[in-house]
Amino acid sequence: MQLDKLTPRSRYFEDFEVGAVYRHWRGKTVKESDAVTICNMVMNTAQGHFNDEFMKNFPIGESVVFGGVTLSMIIGLAAQDTAQNAIREIGMDNVALKSPTRHGDTLYAYSEVLSKLDTGEQGGGEVRFRHYGVNQAGRLVFRGDRTVLLKKRPQER
Amino acid sequence: MIHSDELDFQKNATIIEVGHSYEDFEVGQEFFHHWGRTLNSGDNSLFTTLTLHYNPMYFNAPYARAHGHERLPVNPLLVFNTVLGLSVEDLSERGGPFLGISGCRYHTLVYEGDTVYAISKVLAKRESEKRPNSGIVTWGTRGYNQDDMLVIGFSRTNLVGKRGHVVML
Repeated sequence: MQLDKLTPRSRYFEDFEVGAVYRHWRGKTVKESDAVTICNMVMNTAQGHFNDEFMKNFPIGESVVFGGVTLSMIIGLAAQDTAQNAIREIGMDNVALKSPTRHGDTLYAYSEVLSKLDTGEQGGGEVRFRHYGVNQAGRLVFRGDRTVLLKKRPQER
Repeated sequence: MIHSDELDFQKNATIIEVGHSYEDFEVGQEFFHHWGRTLNSGDNSLFTTLTLHYNPMYFNAPYARAHGHERLPVNPLLVFNTVLGLSVEDLSERGGPFLGISGCRYHTLVYEGDTVYAISKVLAKRESEKRPNSGIVTWGTRGYNQDDMLVIGFSRTNLVGKRGHVVML
């Protein structure tokens, strides 16, 4: 197996330029089958995410998507371009959930390259992205910074 | 047809409440959260694929081995969500939207089959100016594996309802 052919020949450490902003190709409609499944599998016990009857008592009127799912979907959508060549994830900072996601909302992800650091750790370098999540109505739902150790471009043989 | 006597048990039932209100938190207070969670292979591949997180490191075993991992690493966002999830009953189940996360760092890698535990400490609390029935609380939450090695740390801020109030959007 040629494992180096499994991920794209681009989007390595060298391919990101500080200041660049990308919109990732795919969107995702967050269905209950996604959001409730993940909320329950990660042991989030807050019934506001999985009990519609309970939520009828509140203005929003129905169960809402757990913020951790919104965050993970946006980073997942951005992973196509910012994580396929990751060696490891380092962390997240300044994460803000700006407005609630309802079941059935569609999310899109954008990423901005904030900084790069050629640490050489495991032959890679650190890139810090600011990820943005926007819903079908154009509302900002998520903004957060993520730092990842990316591979460097393989040397041509 | 439902006969009312069949439902008599409901009249005598006491609701067993869970969770904490704003008044219950004191800065410096610590919580060792319930349950723990073994993260297995099904969890890792389901979470990773549902969130479209296409890094083969989490779902292709030969690829992970070629990167020095004997077992598949668990997607760090699954570790984050699980450690946060385990903390919810003690910290935020009584409602109050999840406002943000800061200073999240992944430490020792979690591999499929590892078990994570969650511990939190109250870092700060203040009254909400906009919502008189609630306050804003920040907790530092840490996740450990079965060998007591730190796997993740982050701080989380939520709006938290005062006693007798559930705060929702």
